[in-house]
Amino acid sequence: MESAPWESELTLAMKAEFGDSVLEFSTHRGQEFVVAKADSAIAILEYLKYEADYDYLVDVTAVHWPKRAGEEFDLVYILYSFARNHRLRVKTRIADGYKPQTSVTVHLTANWLEREVFDMFGIEFAGHPDPRRILMPDEWKGHPLRKDYSIVQMDDAWVKENLGIESGH
Amino acid sequence: MPETFLDSTELILNMGPQHPSTHGVLRVILKLDGEKVTGTDCVIGYLHRGVEKIGENRTYVMFAPYVDRMDYVAAVSNGLGYCLAIEKLLGVEAPPRAQAVRVILTELNRIASHLFWLGTHALDIGATTPVMYCLREREEVLKIFEAYCGARLTTHAFRIGGLQYETYDGFEQQCLAFCDAFPARVDDYEALLTGNRIWIDRLKGVGILNADDCKAYGVTGPMLRAAGVKWDIRKALPYSGYEKYDFEIPVGYNGDTYDRYIVRMQEMRQSARIVRQAVQSLPEGPIMAKVPKVIKPAPGEVYVSIEAPKGELGYYVVSDGTINPYRLRVRPPSFVNLQSLDKMAKGALIADVVAIIGTIDIVLGEVDR
Amino acid sequence: MRKFLRTIFLIDLFEGLRVTLRYQHPKNIYTEQYPAERPQVAERYRGAPRLNKNPDTNETLCISCDLCAIACPEALIVVTSIRNPETRRKELTEFTYDTSRCMFCGLCEDACPVDALELTQDFEFAQYSRDGLIWDRQMLEDGPRPTPYKA
Repeated sequence: MESAPWESELTLAMKAEFGDSVLEFSTHRGQEFVVAKADSAIAILEYLKYEADYDYLVDVTAVHWPKRAGEEFDLVYILYSFARNHRLRVKTRIADGYKPQTSVTVHLTANWLEREVFDMFGIEFAGHPDPRRILMPDEWKGHPLRKDYSIVQMDDAWVKENLGIESGH
Repeated sequence: MPETFLDSTELILNMGPQHPSTHGVLRVILKLDGEKVTGTDCVIGYLHRGVEKIGENRTYVMFAPYVDRMDYVAAVSNGLGYCLAIEKLLGVEAPPRAQAVRVILTELNRIASHLFWLGTHALDIGATTPVMYCLREREEVLKIFEAYCGARLTTHAFRIGGLQYETYDGFEQQCLAFCDAFPARVDDYEALLTGNRIWIDRLKGVGILNADDCKAYGVTGPMLRAAGVKWDIRKALPYSGYEKYDFEIPVGYNGDTYDRYIVRMQEMRQSARIVRQAVQSLPEGPIMAKVPKVIKPAPGEVYVSIEAPKGELGYYVVSDGTINPYRLRVRPPSFVNLQSLDKMAKGALIADVVAIIGTIDIVLGEVDR
Repeated sequence: MRKFLRTIFLIDLFEGLRVTLRYQHPKNIYTEQYPAERPQVAERYRGAPRLNKNPDTNETLCISCDLCAIACPEALIVVTSIRNPETRRKELTEFTYDTSRCMFCGLCEDACPVDALELTQDFEFAQYSRDGLIWDRQMLEDGPRPTPYKA
């Protein structure tokens, strides 16, 4: 991805605060994002909320890159600051099976959003207050938005047991 | 009287998914102390169709009709957000005429969505008359959609890079006629509801969510504005030429159900104003930007959001340089707003929960995707 | 005091009733009597698909280019053709269109280079079985055959 480096007062302050934990400040198509180490994500969200007014967590989502060994998932936090009228993305790269710290402690809205990430990607959040599936049935096997989950794939056993029908393939 | 005097065990009551006032297939498990709600647990996903997964397996052009099926009450807004996101990823911009037509249709759609909300919300509260009048005006809007693009609800009105259809003969007159008649119709609804004592008693002070709670829960749209935060993406981060139109952001004070009703009523009037301005200043020119026949954006990612009738509707699109999106995330306003139900319903009565669900203005197609 | 008087004399009630009574006049009735009166749908309405024929020669306009089948998000169009060895052109043999999966987005219509496939104003195509919703070439050209109802 062609993205230009991004520098501003905020990036300098964050560099001073976090040092090597922040890997990259970039801008792509006029949208700024920060790539950080996985274990410092919550500290960065806290810093951005309390020191830099990024007080609205728009979205938490993930992207699955199965070919990137050791960094299979991008975990993306999209933030917005009412005071600065600016949107910022914080991305961390995590391995399959790594349990990132929950961000519910910083932003309450992350509760359902992280549940959805767990449901769709199988990323478990450490310390999440309500670690259940949200859209799929609780007993469902598999996480649909992983790239190795085919679009016609179904949990045949669940369908048969709960709906009493053959799933058709 | 000591609190433990008439202590009762916690009662668990199931509400939905087949309940007329949950606006679809929302299931809420209510924990009750007498008639007081002590906690809620939303069970959602009954309408999950895997829209994001479908998006990854379709081309950019093919996926456009599917976004209409998320918030089916405001399909035009969904289409606008999707087209803007892909245009941003491609680095193209729709021509001015296309942008103006997009604004007209999106604002008409906002009116239609709010009217549908008003009718069904009033019906939940017990006022059975407004829904008839609301659907009558909504019908006028849907007729404009039908004449413009051939469908009433799932419109598929916009294409990536502009519009597929030129406006039809009489489009401007029909829109202006609607704008002329509409404010008087809103006055009618207000005569039926705003001063009505039953309406006020049912709504005032119910489901209060103040500005700080709204921000913590990520609540956007009319709910945030009813809490007194003057924030609207159309003003804050204008898209599709909204900076050219003169309109106000209505705000409330208390953040209760009644204020949300007032805010939405005012928003409909403002939308009619925008439609009038956009029709009167509709520029001539092409309606489609230069877009490659096969849409294949360079690798990259964008997040684009618009002010949908329910709140911030965002699309996070990751491209890997092929004809299919690598990841297509939809940030649905209803899903995030619904999360605040627990906070609002705590301490309320069961009958108020109905009012609170109604005031969030959820569409389950969007919550579950 | 004003509020009290409004409450006593039920002003808000009468204001609301005035709106209701104003719309009692028969000319304000908005209901469509659908089966009795057919509604006029818009010219651009996207309804039942039709495969157009040349009205003079009665030959199909379709050139079997398969673009509609490629454009369809649901992949519900199947076009089969054979190449005529004399004219070296593809000739349409069979065209199936599964309306049970169609979402009437109009992408096939947009893709057609010769305006052969068209979504028409016809909106009544309910059938007694799912199989009846899969339209073959004859149905697409002549319109749906009504299923006789057996009592």
